[in-house]
Amino acid sequence: MWAFIVRKLLYNVPVYLGIIAILMLALRVNDPTYTFLGKNATKDQQDRLRTSMGLDDPFAVQYGRLLGKVFTLDFSEDSWAQPGRSVRAIMISAIPKSLSITIPTLIIATFVSIWIALVAAYFRGRPPDKTLMILAVLGMSISYLVYILFGQFFGAFLPDQPGGIGTPFAITGYEPWLLGEHADPWNWVTYCMLPVLIGVIVTIGYDTRFYRAVMVEETGKDYIVTAMAKGATKPKIMFVHMLKNAMIPIITRVMATLPFLITGSILVEVYFKIPGMGNELISAIKGNDFPVVQAFVAVFAAFFIVSVILTDVLYALVDPRVRLS
Amino acid sequence: MFARLRNSRGYRKFTRNRGAMVALGVIGAYTAIFILVWFFGVLTRADARERVLPRNTPGWLEKQSVEDRFNALTWYVESHLGSAIPSDLATRPDAQDALRRAALGERRIIDAPPERVLELWADLRAKHKETDDLFLDLEDAENEILDIRLIIADTTSSGGPEDEIASLREELAELEPEAAQLRAEFESSLAGAEAALTELMPMPKGWAGIVYGFRTFLGSNAIGQSISVHAFYSIKIAFQIGLVVATACVVIGTALGAAAGFFGGWIDALVMWLVSTLSSVPYLVLLAVLSFMFTGSQLFDNPVDRPELQLVKLYVAMGLTFWVGTARVIRGEVMKIRSLEYVQAATAIGFSRPYIVVRHIIPNTFHLMFINFSLLFIAAIKNEVILSFLGLGVSGQPSWGAMINDAKDDLTNYFFWTVGSASVLMFGLVLAFNIVSDALQDAFDPKHVA
Repeated sequence: MWAFIVRKLLYNVPVYLGIIAILMLALRVNDPTYTFLGKNATKDQQDRLRTSMGLDDPFAVQYGRLLGKVFTLDFSEDSWAQPGRSVRAIMISAIPKSLSITIPTLIIATFVSIWIALVAAYFRGRPPDKTLMILAVLGMSISYLVYILFGQFFGAFLPDQPGGIGTPFAITGYEPWLLGEHADPWNWVTYCMLPVLIGVIVTIGYDTRFYRAVMVEETGKDYIVTAMAKGATKPKIMFVHMLKNAMIPIITRVMATLPFLITGSILVEVYFKIPGMGNELISAIKGNDFPVVQAFVAVFAAFFIVSVILTDVLYALVDPRVRLS
Repeated sequence: MFARLRNSRGYRKFTRNRGAMVALGVIGAYTAIFILVWFFGVLTRADARERVLPRNTPGWLEKQSVEDRFNALTWYVESHLGSAIPSDLATRPDAQDALRRAALGERRIIDAPPERVLELWADLRAKHKETDDLFLDLEDAENEILDIRLIIADTTSSGGPEDEIASLREELAELEPEAAQLRAEFESSLAGAEAALTELMPMPKGWAGIVYGFRTFLGSNAIGQSISVHAFYSIKIAFQIGLVVATACVVIGTALGAAAGFFGGWIDALVMWLVSTLSSVPYLVLLAVLSFMFTGSQLFDNPVDRPELQLVKLYVAMGLTFWVGTARVIRGEVMKIRSLEYVQAATAIGFSRPYIVVRHIIPNTFHLMFINFSLLFIAAIKNEVILSFLGLGVSGQPSWGAMINDAKDDLTNYFFWTVGSASVLMFGLVLAFNIVSDALQDAFDPKHVA
């Protein structure tokens, strides 16, 4: 197993080097001095800023410098757009805010969609199944933006108007709810619950279809026939025999989404003005804030690669038929 | 190649799926609109820029309140016609030109001698003035009633003297019929003024009437442009982005995936390196970075002079990002096909390897190319909207994303027409494609799990 892990890690070194190089190249198409100095800057000012940002070094030197920082885990460089805040400080303050939305979303969405999928698979081919699957396709076809806009309108804006029924949700914003001086757990309901609900509704369509397909495939297997021949009841077959085996692809899918938790849900964060990682990233990209984007991608890609390898290893541990080769 | 496809079992299974056939019909309708707009120029960006109504006029389903109608009339009289009709109209040689410029879409100022136009215009202004005065009176009367009601409520709750409440109630009983009468007068005066407006700017008849009806049936956006023109023109933008991105991704993905799967070795290693590299960063971040490369460029971010080139950033960003999935799928399928007997037979006959790939292997992945095409088409349309919303996509020209982005604040004024029209049209197209790609998957790739 250790040989497998080491081999996989080595195989992913070029991938890691590649994504950082591609990202740095794509970022450097724009001239950041323009953003920070404006149109009327003199050539001299621009040159000086470029030198202080280290942008007039050859690309290889800049690349090496970034890699050096990543491998020594040195994220103390200041952000360009928010002077005085280090990249580390930005990530440390933003990632927990993203997680306080993405983790509940993932948990709730997974549980709810496994249950819906079980119901659909139980009634396979009959009206409840068909209705649920039609609803899933309908839900998938509505744009994420529409959910966000109307979710905020009907969840937070309309009930808050004079004569409305009142709402616990804030229209936009974020306050700490777990850590920090003025943390109040109720803040989670006020600021995070509506985004979480919207995120759940958006993902449920996709997840339900996937889980149902997995379960339907599982019900065609021999061990189900055996269980039926032995006289096990249908609910027992569905919830005990089948669900256990269907868990493997389900866990694989959930594992694959884990690294994406730290990105946060970009659209939700931007629209609800939650200062999470997604929001910071988009404003960093639009503000030519190279250090933030580069550091985030370096961290994310590392997470991603490690989680892919871990998934393979866990897979082999759980299922003895799978060999790591 | 299509004859073989038509005789396959998958094709028969697909055409027997009634839902998929209906969805194909819907896609056909959208395609027809796309061709009409793109090839025949039925709607243009200039049409979308033209003002046709006062700002934020609701569509045909929603009945406007009297106050809104009055505000709309005031807009016609004070802003639009007030600046469009010159006072020296009778003596100007280019009087007709000046009047033509005052048109709102197909709705023009009456084709009559300048004296007659001025007469109607004076009549309209007089009637509007009368309505305006009545409106002020009405407002005063209704405010007074409101005040008295508040006082009554206050006195009652603080246990004030009974006789005072009684006298206030009497006063209220006197004022209320007066206000009702004022309101009736105001409404009839408003109707008269509106009739005067219609006389000056008659509703277009015949073909022009149909065109005007189309332009106004979904109302107008925050600057008075037609929502329906925007929403239907956006079909062209969506198709353009969907077709270009899906075609590019299917071509790139198939070429690289087939090469990787068939030749193996360093080609496979290189392609898989690219695939894993591009998937190790969230795709929306990659899309944002790639499309931001073009932002601020004179050539690629200039919706006024070069609107078509603004779409290039979306093509590039999505084209470089989305081929990855197709390449993975095709590679897997090609690796499976590579060891089949007919490929060995072709090798034994002595065909060259590139020939075998093009002639014998790629045609057997057509079903996957179709499925991926329809999936990518949906992804492109959805992500155009998302990128435009983040300010990295289309702006300054019609597109569903730009419409939703521009009108998101209108929701708090209870104006849903812009967001609603864009969402409904987009929903129809995406739903139809979802159904078709599901049916394609069922028919041609039944072993696939979601």
